[in-house]
Amino acid sequence: MILGRAVRIAARLRKKGGGSAVPGLVVNRFAPGFLGSVLSSFPEGLVVVTGSSGKSTTTKMLVTILEAHGKRVFTNPSTANISQGLTSALLERASLTGRIDADMAVLEMDEGHGALLSPQFEARLVLLTNVMTDQIDRFHDSEKVVGMLDTIARRATERLVLNGDDAMLDAMAADTHDTALARFGVTAEVFDSLPRGLGYAQTTPGRDSEGTLVSRVDGRSASIRWDGFDHDVTLPARGVHYAVDAAAAIAASRELLGDAFESTTAVDAVSSVRAVFGRGEVVTVRGKRIEFVLVQNPASFQLNVDELEEGLDQVMVAMGSDVADPSYFWPVDASRIGRARIVSGSKADEMALQLLYQHVQVDEIDADLPAALDRFIALPEPETGVKTIVFTADPMRRTRSHLGLAQ
Amino acid sequence: MSAILQLFPELTNVNGDAENALVLARRAQWVGIDAEPVPVPAGGGLPTESPVAVVLGSGVDSALEQTRDALLGIREALDEWIAAGIPILAVGTGFELLTASIELEGRVLDGLAVLPGRATPLETRAAGEVVVASTWGELIGYENHARGYRSEGAATLGAVQTGVGNGDGTEGVVSGSVFGTHLHGPILARNPSFAIAILTAAFGDDGDLYAKTRADGVAEAIRVAALRRARTV
Repeated sequence: MILGRAVRIAARLRKKGGGSAVPGLVVNRFAPGFLGSVLSSFPEGLVVVTGSSGKSTTTKMLVTILEAHGKRVFTNPSTANISQGLTSALLERASLTGRIDADMAVLEMDEGHGALLSPQFEARLVLLTNVMTDQIDRFHDSEKVVGMLDTIARRATERLVLNGDDAMLDAMAADTHDTALARFGVTAEVFDSLPRGLGYAQTTPGRDSEGTLVSRVDGRSASIRWDGFDHDVTLPARGVHYAVDAAAAIAASRELLGDAFESTTAVDAVSSVRAVFGRGEVVTVRGKRIEFVLVQNPASFQLNVDELEEGLDQVMVAMGSDVADPSYFWPVDASRIGRARIVSGSKADEMALQLLYQHVQVDEIDADLPAALDRFIALPEPETGVKTIVFTADPMRRTRSHLGLAQ
Repeated sequence: MSAILQLFPELTNVNGDAENALVLARRAQWVGIDAEPVPVPAGGGLPTESPVAVVLGSGVDSALEQTRDALLGIREALDEWIAAGIPILAVGTGFELLTASIELEGRVLDGLAVLPGRATPLETRAAGEVVVASTWGELIGYENHARGYRSEGAATLGAVQTGVGNGDGTEGVVSGSVFGTHLHGPILARNPSFAIAILTAAFGDDGDLYAKTRADGVAEAIRVAALRRARTV
């Protein structure tokens, strides 16, 4: 413990506000059992949220619902969902005896690192969001992702909460698990209204009629159905995927809270959740309003582009080194962007190539992100909507840093 | 309208390979030819008019049999296209399925055998950037595959300079009007000279098809960076 704390202080001194994975790295090396022992120390247990996308928003919603019901919850910031970051986040809060003063922990875990960590923990509940084609250079294909999620799911002792519309999760649960299941998803009516479906690697042929279901989506307003009643919620940003995140969080909180679960408390809590970084977030920088749109994989790229206001005249697009091979973004139809004032990031040329073939007007290509940001922000106010930056994770971090925004 | 078919994109567009049909259609449109990419779902009917070019992409291994069966369903048309010299670009598992067989763990899956040779396991999975010295210049791109390609004396796309390709120092295959490759994604956008070779096979040797576009300037910048990376490893 003391070792980790000392390293954390040293890391802080070296780089203000940064270096959050460094102390975790050191502790994982010298005290490998630390993570497991802290994770097992919560009186009301551990909840793990994992899957290809929607982890951050679902985790944030679930924590908010539990806190609204009076629970003291430990959680990790979404940027610390890999093992070193997770250890660092735990160190931040742990007492000298290696305990954290909270009733339960709700942790977002990266699917790859979560699978590697899984021998070190047992979770009261595991929530699986979905399987999407993601990071093919790292995971090869969606079947490998399912294997990792299966490994994590096997650590669930009480409940497995999963997306009933995701055919790969559905098949995995049917094959290998005797843990009690709770499901969430969308109704047939909502599904039929989606021109491109839900974006999962594979979708089940039929819709669930039981469970916690999205029964209506209209911009940022949605209804979630459980026990036969529809409840209206406000989403942090437009899009059916946020409504599915809300259904997932409500499904898990119903299981965790049991009789203590209050529908109105849950609905108010979910509706109070604001966008997590880069998900429909609007900031004001140098007197200009800018909307941030983070795309993490092809499915989220497509969903987010489809939600853009029509005819935006000030869009910047940035792709960074986090995308090792941009090939798999090509199935995304980005033509709705219409006109990109600047395409930037270290993979600017690859992004621009796709946009040009999809008949998006590209005014300028400049891989120098800070310079591109300065020029984009300096453009006069847009005629339609707000200035919008569509970016992958690496340029998002660099943008925040350049503009002096919280990381 | 000239149709450029994307075969079974719901199974074969994991890496964006089917988008090569969009690339061909756009380049034709840019020189005033009325062409469109036309998706053909597995088990769906083919358009009545013959296509001018065909793209078959790569999918996950669990979809191999389903994709093979969908190909068997259009076997007659496939043979006609090949006999008529219609260019076909086959990528990754699409390429493998056109060979005689695919060696999987503990079993062998029969292919359509319209290409010579067969797909056999590599010692380790090949994933990363590739540079191939071809008749159309250096082709650049990405590969991510568990199997290579073996054939007796088939013509290949060229010699591998960086990466793995077929696994024996060569990459891909050229057989009549069929081009097979492990280079996935929008290979024709990244390699305009390869796109032009397929377009002139589809539309005839029309001088306009060689015109350099703005996209080609961007592709050139990508190529220069890729070659620089390849030469510094």
